[in-house]
Amino acid sequence: MGTALKTNTSHTRGSLAALVGFALAAALALAGCGSGGQAASGAAAGGPPRPGGTLRFAVSSDQGCVDPQQVSSNDTIYAARQLVDSLTDQDPATGQITPWLATSWQATPDATAYTFTLRGDVTFSDATPLTAQVVKENFDKVAQLGPRATLAKGYLSGYQGTTVDGPNRFTVRFSAPNVQFLQGTSTHSLGILAPASLALSDDQRCRQVLGSGPFVLVSYVQNQSITLARRPGYRWGSPLWAHPGEAYLDQIEFRIVPESGVRTGSLQSGEVDAISSIGQQDEQPLSAAGIQLLARANPGLPFGISFNQSKPVVSDPAVRMALSLAINRPEVVGAVFTSQTKPATGVLSSTTPDYTDGGAQLGFDLNRAKATLDADGWVPGPDGIRAKGGQRLSFGVTFFANAATNQPALELIQQQARLAGIDPRIVQQPVANLAQVQVSGDFDAIWNNTTRADPDILRSAYWSGGANYYRLPPGPLDQQLTGQAAATDPARRAQLVAAAQQRMLTDYDAVPVVELTTVLGAGPGARGIRFDASSRVTLSDTWKAVD
Amino acid sequence: MTELLPELREPTAAPAGEPIPAAVPGRSRWRGTIGFFARRPGLVASVLYVALVLCAAFAPGVLAPGDPLIGIPAQRLRAPSAAHVFGTDYLGRDLFTRVVHGAALSLQATVIAVALALVVGGLIGLLAGFVGRWVDEALMRFVDTVLAIPPILLSLALITALGYGTLNVAIAVGMASVANFSRVMRAETMRIRRATYVEAARTLGTRWYATLARHVLPNAAGPVLVLAVLEFGLAILQVSALSFLGYGAPPPAPEWGALIADGRNYLANSWWLCAMPGFVIAATVLAVNRISRALDGEWTRGTR
Amino acid sequence: MLAYLARRVGLAVGVLWAAFTVSFIVLWLLPGDPVETMASGGLDGEPATPQQLAALRARYGLDKPPLWQYGDRLWAALHGDFGTSIQTGQQVRAQIMAALPPTLRIALAGLVFAVLFGAGLALLATYVRHRWLRQLLLSLPPLAVSMPTFWVGLMLVQLFAFQLRLLPSVGARGAESVILPAVTLGLPTGALVAQVLAKSLSQALAEPYIVTARAKGVGRVAIHLRHALRNAALPALTVLGYVVGNLLAGSVVVETVFNRPGLGRLTVQAVSVQDIPTVQGIVLCAAAVYVVANLLVDLLYPLLDPRIVVGAPA
Repeated sequence: MGTALKTNTSHTRGSLAALVGFALAAALALAGCGSGGQAASGAAAGGPPRPGGTLRFAVSSDQGCVDPQQVSSNDTIYAARQLVDSLTDQDPATGQITPWLATSWQATPDATAYTFTLRGDVTFSDATPLTAQVVKENFDKVAQLGPRATLAKGYLSGYQGTTVDGPNRFTVRFSAPNVQFLQGTSTHSLGILAPASLALSDDQRCRQVLGSGPFVLVSYVQNQSITLARRPGYRWGSPLWAHPGEAYLDQIEFRIVPESGVRTGSLQSGEVDAISSIGQQDEQPLSAAGIQLLARANPGLPFGISFNQSKPVVSDPAVRMALSLAINRPEVVGAVFTSQTKPATGVLSSTTPDYTDGGAQLGFDLNRAKATLDADGWVPGPDGIRAKGGQRLSFGVTFFANAATNQPALELIQQQARLAGIDPRIVQQPVANLAQVQVSGDFDAIWNNTTRADPDILRSAYWSGGANYYRLPPGPLDQQLTGQAAATDPARRAQLVAAAQQRMLTDYDAVPVVELTTVLGAGPGARGIRFDASSRVTLSDTWKAVD
Repeated sequence: MTELLPELREPTAAPAGEPIPAAVPGRSRWRGTIGFFARRPGLVASVLYVALVLCAAFAPGVLAPGDPLIGIPAQRLRAPSAAHVFGTDYLGRDLFTRVVHGAALSLQATVIAVALALVVGGLIGLLAGFVGRWVDEALMRFVDTVLAIPPILLSLALITALGYGTLNVAIAVGMASVANFSRVMRAETMRIRRATYVEAARTLGTRWYATLARHVLPNAAGPVLVLAVLEFGLAILQVSALSFLGYGAPPPAPEWGALIADGRNYLANSWWLCAMPGFVIAATVLAVNRISRALDGEWTRGTR
Repeated sequence: MLAYLARRVGLAVGVLWAAFTVSFIVLWLLPGDPVETMASGGLDGEPATPQQLAALRARYGLDKPPLWQYGDRLWAALHGDFGTSIQTGQQVRAQIMAALPPTLRIALAGLVFAVLFGAGLALLATYVRHRWLRQLLLSLPPLAVSMPTFWVGLMLVQLFAFQLRLLPSVGARGAESVILPAVTLGLPTGALVAQVLAKSLSQALAEPYIVTARAKGVGRVAIHLRHALRNAALPALTVLGYVVGNLLAGSVVVETVFNRPGLGRLTVQAVSVQDIPTVQGIVLCAAAVYVVANLLVDLLYPLLDPRIVVGAPA
């Protein structure tokens, strides 16, 4: 965008002046650009929580949907989680399942049926009451949802139906033992929606939902902002929270700010009160500015590369193994992620229940990587990239920009892999396409992670009988995954989970690289931001010290 | 609408019949050239700078012997210093090396864009000016339309249709610049067609294609090439804007616009990632514009 | 006069029609299969089965011959229907109408800044007596035009928002948030205004009536502002159409840099998912704005400048 300027010759000397002016401008810019931020003003006062105020929370992306049953991206979950309550809650410290909307429950010994008793005083934001019938409708509807609801459908795997035993009692039945269902009821994916929302189509629900949560949706402008307001009369908060009643905040405004540099700058300048997805470069300046950094490791699948095993090149186990050996995980962690982050030591993250350490197989050994490829017939070409039978050792690694660390990490991995003669091409897709890309299989490899405080996430992702986005061929891994989902004995389950993890590492079905640690920045005004067991935020106890 | 300010659309073409100062033998001509440049230090600086950029584009190893794709993570986000003139980026890659190697990518796209605009626009203008009448009207109305759509939107429409990538960016930018070239070519063609010597050639029975090749093209070339140099500067801005928006080559390609886009994440505390590539772009465009102004008329206006 | 009006309006309509045709050719005929292009870009998470592709094709009339499609779409466009966005399912016209006000806000602010900056610079440059100062001032427009817009925006954010903490860096909250985008947007336009105005000012100052005025004893400032400017301003008006188009185009980059809602952001989103109907709607909108602005100038200019005789061959 420029203009065709035709100046006359009297400006011939102007060009030198222009260069001088340019240098002046440069000097001005450099003078103005110092380093680091200044210390935040205002002493942090203690004191009891007080109601009122608007929390401005800057997040990096928008998945394009506010329906908690249909979102899987952390940034959007932060907003969607506040709109609904769950049957149960999970203690972040112990992993224990605790009561919430359901005061008690019983499971049959073979885990094929669960009976819940609801508390009687819950209403949705449109004043309709929560009854067993409403929960039944929620679960029945899940099966009819589209591909965005993969997590929810996975939790209800083998769902046969719900019988209503009374106004506040119901029993959920499964065709096969379903051990992980109870933990699933504590997640946002099975958050209970009002009947009015259930009547809407998938897309309509993405734009507006009604729940019983501590906040209600006021407005949602895609890729711009999600605004929530306090739900008056709320008093059925989870017992794990600091207080069960109405939220302190009047409003929460989630602003979508894709650039991490801009989020950081906004937090430093006080434009926003909290930010998500902090990059490593922001840690030190934020701490120096007196910003509190809240961190919690995410359970579930670590950040890593999973493959579409129906595509050429990546369906070759030797290639996957060589890639894993070529990645120097500590270097990636040190260069790109925040200081509390750890390299992956297994296909599950270390905070997940039943995690076993597979770190020995995830070491860095460039020579062994090269040897593996040599043995498999991949010959280095003139540009250093290997080829076999005319096929270049090149594949696309798709990623979504819902974390500031994704692109730099992949660029570094690319650099490392090229030393072994592998060429991973980086392909970025908008985060709104996440579900579509997975379903269509339009990828060679994907860089992502999934958060869940239960090892059953392995089955959700890698069972060939499920959604099977990674197009795994049927194999012994399937029995281990379905077996652990049915094992009611915790010891037996741990055994099966360990076996599944070992098998996945041997076959290199996934190449885990780094465990996600959620790090949030909270300014001096924002107090009481808490993490739940899945390292997402709960904001009912949050209050503003300075308005 | 455009007739009211013709000089904004068409260049100040050298008045017909006024030749470049007649060839003066030997020494005084050389002295004239030196004097011309001595009075224009800005022009000298611009030429030198453009030469540097071209060197970076064709032989980046001369200016920056390192590998733009390899970095030492332990040295990331270092401010500009003696060791790293432009500083390092978030993976420890030397920014100066990346900018130098990025010159090749960015200039590649720019050259293709300008060449495309020149050829296509030139053909349209030639046709309009040579054939005249309704063909001229029709083609010029078409050109007016393209001018009604802001160049970047036209480029974005082409990107929507063609997809991402350096080549598509080049095509998109080129097509948006066709209008200017066609107007200049048309004006020149019409001017030359009406010149006496062409009429004379026609009476002698010269075929139209001979007239075209021997008279029109060589004489029209001058102003068109001047415009090409000016458009070069504009195209650099447009190509870098499109690559800033993410439509160019995928990472880790160090296209200038993409470097600035990557640097945005570190704006608060590592300003050099955005500032340096931007300085380079601005300086390049400034230098190219300066050279274009010199070609446009300064030389013919004599050695003042 | 009426004939002039009719001719001008007719030309404007013609350009709009031609813009529609060009955008139709580029967006609908150029890609191999527009439906595949749109479907791969995003269908709200739904997988694109062959049946869905066929349904889409039928819905957009893509199984009909190109000429039929063109006529059908032109007819719809004449009724203000520009189709439905593939990505959001909303009407393209509604989306554009919703996105227009924020863009107009910064475009207007940008225009004000451009006029003030450009006019101020031109007036100052032609007023000062020292040659070196004039050269310095006149060297600023080429400088302003050489800098990439997005880079200028980022540098301004770094300086004013992060370092000096004077202005907000992102978003569209409050009047202060308009300042940095307006400056970024208006800088290249202001440079153009400065150029054009400086040129016509120096021409106006060379006119005989200036000598007369000075002989009569009118002060330098008064001459500059009252006599020279009035006559010089009119030629500058003629670039209005180009300027308006430029401002609209600049919003694409400025809204991305400053994270503001508006037409520019809508364009970038639409391009990233290859949402053909929306992109076409935006292109037509921009062409319409340009054409209307030029029409206004063509109609106003004869009224403002009594020397112009209307009806002269165009």
